[in-house]
Amino acid sequence: MKKPTVLALLPSLALAGSLMPSVAMADVSIMYPEFITALVKPGIEAYEANTGIKVNAVKMPTVGYEQRVAVDLAAGTAPDIVVMDSFMVAELASANYLHPLDAQLKGWDQYKYYIKSLLSVASYDDKVYALPTDTDVRMLWYDKSVMKKAGIALPWSPKSWDDVLAASEKIKAQGVPYSFVLPAGTKRAEATTMQGVYMALLGADTPKDDRNRLRNRKEGKWIGDSPALRRTLELYRQVYVEKQLTPASINYETNVDAFVRTAITKHQVGILASGSWEFSCIWDCNGVNLPSVEERNAVLGWAPWPGMGRADTLKTTNISGGWTIGMAQSAKDKKEAFKLLTTIFDHGNFSEWTVAEHRMGVRTDITESPEYTQDAYLAKATKLAENTTSRDTFPGYNVVTQLIQQATGNILDGMSVDDAITEYKESLIDEFGEDQVIVYK
Amino acid sequence: MRKKINPWLAGNIPLLVAVALPAALFLSVLVYFAGWAITFSFTDLETIGRKSVNWDWVGLKNYIRLFTRQGFLQSLWVTVIFTFFSAVIGQTIIGFLLAVALRGKRGLLKTTVEVSIMLGWLLPDIVAAFLWSASASQTGLINRVIIEPLGFAPINFMNDYALVVVIIANTWKGSAWSYLLFSAALDAVPKEIIEAAKVDGTTPIQRLWKVVIPMIRPHIATNMLFITIWTFTYFPLIYALTGGGPGNDTNVLAIFLYQTSFDVHRLGYGSAISVAMLLIVGALSIFYLRLLKEPK
Repeated sequence: MKKPTVLALLPSLALAGSLMPSVAMADVSIMYPEFITALVKPGIEAYEANTGIKVNAVKMPTVGYEQRVAVDLAAGTAPDIVVMDSFMVAELASANYLHPLDAQLKGWDQYKYYIKSLLSVASYDDKVYALPTDTDVRMLWYDKSVMKKAGIALPWSPKSWDDVLAASEKIKAQGVPYSFVLPAGTKRAEATTMQGVYMALLGADTPKDDRNRLRNRKEGKWIGDSPALRRTLELYRQVYVEKQLTPASINYETNVDAFVRTAITKHQVGILASGSWEFSCIWDCNGVNLPSVEERNAVLGWAPWPGMGRADTLKTTNISGGWTIGMAQSAKDKKEAFKLLTTIFDHGNFSEWTVAEHRMGVRTDITESPEYTQDAYLAKATKLAENTTSRDTFPGYNVVTQLIQQATGNILDGMSVDDAITEYKESLIDEFGEDQVIVYK
Repeated sequence: MRKKINPWLAGNIPLLVAVALPAALFLSVLVYFAGWAITFSFTDLETIGRKSVNWDWVGLKNYIRLFTRQGFLQSLWVTVIFTFFSAVIGQTIIGFLLAVALRGKRGLLKTTVEVSIMLGWLLPDIVAAFLWSASASQTGLINRVIIEPLGFAPINFMNDYALVVVIIANTWKGSAWSYLLFSAALDAVPKEIIEAAKVDGTTPIQRLWKVVIPMIRPHIATNMLFITIWTFTYFPLIYALTGGGPGNDTNVLAIFLYQTSFDVHRLGYGSAISVAMLLIVGALSIFYLRLLKEPK
């Protein structure tokens, strides 16, 4: 016997409500993480000015935001418009928590500018459930002054993992406390999977048969054990256990992002595995008191993530994600909610935010604009996107991503790579069944 | 003997029903939440995805997972260590010693100590977490003021001794409760009995051990009951301070439950964890409640 899910989730709602501020519903409501304020807030103000309708906006800390989105949507208490990480869209849409936008998008004159391939991250079963705010690429950021102090030639361009580890050891020898920050553990959540595990994994074996991924997409099965997974976890072991290039505790700081970014401005970080957003976010994601481009370039440089250095592996790796804005199925006035959504994404507001924050555009009317094409940083970063891929956002990814984060945490705990892989594989089998998990020798 | 209903209430049955309704409602809410957790612990319900709509009964699978999969037993062990050292040992002993030391005292010293420990108790958990994180980090106060001036290399306590840090932080935060409870209990011990024991030639230790502690035994059990329950299920300070890490060093059951239910979105398994926690805390509570009974 199946019971109504909303009823089933009431206790979760109560728990969430006791931990977090509640959303008092107005005519139109929206929830968003603080890092995207510079895009959302002007859109809300424009909508209110145009319609005279008050928007009930809830701005949340980025930490714990994904959990809040999931719980609110599951309980049917989410605001009308929800900002969410693209990896959540398929799971949320499959549970019927999101409203498909296709019908409304047909009547919006700016929809034609969206790059179709980039809409796939916000789609499920051939329906578009959200609009992407940006896409991204991932790279190794480095502190130029720290590199010089360690005697490393600039611009730094590592060709293998050994090059990265060797540079990190030189940096460590200079007394820099966090010589290579490689996101690990469950508290870093998707940062661990995307900025850490997947960037290494893609360069840890040949791309043939998806041997360098978490999932074999052709067979539709999760990979429980493979040379690439083992090499990736071995890299973690080298960084955190063998060479102790960075204390593991950095991944569990009270506010990890703030801690890491502050450490960078204090020249306490040598190399940081992160993404294209850091060109702003290291100082301020919302662009407040941002140093000039020249000043930022003087402090920081970046290099593509190298493959591990074998002949059959990729020379450089990349994986793209990004955030999206969608509409809850529970939105009462879907017409007004859609109007708020399109006001946020209106060319003027969206274009200004994309260029000012050096975000990678998702619409041709922005990416082909002079302001965008003349941005040297974006031009260089966009080249990385030529050979990018996306994560395995199939149903079940939310479990797999957490299990792989746990595997890195186990390495930090001192567990051997063998044991961590065994644990990972057995957990996958437990979750999906033996026939849904494959092993590469 | 059957208890008689108050005659005034007995004559007002509608009033009796009206005042009983909120109590019945309250009880039913309590039973509902426990019942929800127990029921869904036998399912594969998830927060998002298809299993949030089309969940299935999975029998005892979630309970078997508690013992066969990584996570629960490790977190249980961390929780036992955390609870034993920070609550049973730390808070109880410090609270008791402070209460004994300050008993009958007046003036600035007592006020200062009381205000200090009360501040720890009243400070929001998140603020306390930031303070401890800032103090115990490699560049924190402890290294700057103590370790480095003594000529030692700075220690990253949050990395190397995370569990010790959260135990100390929780001891600091929770000792005020034990202190207040024991202070009240000691004040209730008649001075005449203490004086009589003195006249009998007992030493201070003998008076404490053979006179005071037996008299406040129910208070000790009450204190243990409360702080064990609170600490066993404690979440915010540890989560904000370490997030359960580094690795799984401080991954107590409350954090494991949160991660399972809201990071991995497996509410069915999370419910099984919460039921297991309920049973463990229930067993401990029965043990303490038996201590509360007067010896025959």
